[in-house]
Amino acid sequence: MNSKHPLWQNLFRPRDDRISEVTEMWMSTPLFEKIPTKECRELVKSMHPRHYKKGEKIFSSGEIGASVVLIRSGGVEIKAAEKLLAELKPADFFGEVALILDEPRTADAIATEESELIFFLRSDLEEWVKRSPKSGAQFMLNIAIVLAARLRHTNILLSLQNS
Amino acid sequence: MIQSLFNHPLGRTVAVFSLICTIILLLAILISPLLVPIILSFALYALLEPLSAILERQGLSRSASSLSVLLILVSVAALVFSVLLPHLANQLSTLQSQLPAVWQSMMSMGNDVSQHLFNSLGLDIKTTNITQHFFTQANNWGTAALIQASNILINLTIFLVLVPIITFFLVRDYRNFRNYMLDKLPNSNFEMGWLIYHRVAHQLQEYIRGIMIQSGIMCVMTSIGFYIIGLDSPFLLGATAGVLNLIPYVGPLLATVLPILLAVSEVPMELWLIGAAISVILIAQLIDSTIVIPSVIANAVNLHPLIVIIGIIVFGNLFGFIGMVVATPTLSTANIIYRGLYQGIKTRCNLETKPVA
Repeated sequence: MNSKHPLWQNLFRPRDDRISEVTEMWMSTPLFEKIPTKECRELVKSMHPRHYKKGEKIFSSGEIGASVVLIRSGGVEIKAAEKLLAELKPADFFGEVALILDEPRTADAIATEESELIFFLRSDLEEWVKRSPKSGAQFMLNIAIVLAARLRHTNILLSLQNS
Repeated sequence: MIQSLFNHPLGRTVAVFSLICTIILLLAILISPLLVPIILSFALYALLEPLSAILERQGLSRSASSLSVLLILVSVAALVFSVLLPHLANQLSTLQSQLPAVWQSMMSMGNDVSQHLFNSLGLDIKTTNITQHFFTQANNWGTAALIQASNILINLTIFLVLVPIITFFLVRDYRNFRNYMLDKLPNSNFEMGWLIYHRVAHQLQEYIRGIMIQSGIMCVMTSIGFYIIGLDSPFLLGATAGVLNLIPYVGPLLATVLPILLAVSEVPMELWLIGAAISVILIAQLIDSTIVIPSVIANAVNLHPLIVIIGIIVFGNLFGFIGMVVATPTLSTANIIYRGLYQGIKTRCNLETKPVA
């Protein structure tokens, strides 16, 4: 019997591959450290997957941001004033400052190949924090740790440049 | 010319904003027979959604929490209708029987004033004509109001069935439906669309919750006040003041008319009762303006008072009482959408015209 028969596929396929995979990706990031997998999985269901073509802009510097973005597949480069800041690959995330600040983005993000990105919006975060304040507080603490690490890294780079 | 106008951020914003307004207006016309139950359901959704979120936090599924919220809504409505409605109907019939006395009292007041003017200044004013005109006008308004009230009663049955059903589905499915619609936006406008939606939803939810709490407090305060001073039909007058309070600026003024007329109609006329009725409304307004509004509504609507008043008059002229109630949140929503669009389009235009380094 052909193993790709739809009946067998439906019977033995895991509940939802995409949600499980994205949950696993988020759980591997510092943003979801110490947050129960079950809660992350519920949150992933309300996140927004979007597809980008090669060379398509995800956001530009100066635009108001509203989400943190996880790369599910493909690649993204982050540029500021035409200078390459980072090359990101699947399971990396970017734009987390927009979850906290209602301020313009400070860099451009461009898809370097066909990419699927998962957007976690500030409005979803706010709804989640109201629903699960304990996990929400942990998430906020995680963001603070990530931002502090980025700030520390920038300070080191600046001091190296100056010296 | 048109192309250059469209390239300008302001021109482009106005074009997109007009398109959105036209689509919303067409939709509103299409669903006009259901517009009132839908507006009421959205107002109830704004009130009940936090309750559903609490139940979900306790481990209930979305459907179970929505159903529980619906049961709570139906129970509260049944309780209100069974306890308050007969009482209010009773007070309404008392008020109806008092109306001839109110007209009579006003007629005699008019005659007294005219007599006084004639004796002291020699002015002969035909108050009979003025009062006759006033009563004809009042009679027309009253008839129109009665026809409207009977229409409302007929529609009430439909509302009683429709509103809980629409509210249940809103609580259960609105989030999924919203996600589905907003995810249809192109990549370039996805975040901006969500941002504008979030601001509008947040402000509307704050406003609806605030205005309902404010009206409830106003209703309780004035009812107690009218009861203490011994004015007839205190709970009906309080309920009227609460409902009229849904209309900013204009509503509180309208709410003063009926209690003062009732106080005037007392035979023999008691001046202290008129003063007391005015005092009750003034004290309630004072508490409302200094304590209730800053704590429950705060900056839910960042609009100039003149714009709100003009909006209320225009919407009231177009859509009646419901138009007056929805004027402020509609204007506030339009304001946020316009500002959000302008901000996004301006940034996009600046990026498009930025010289390549």
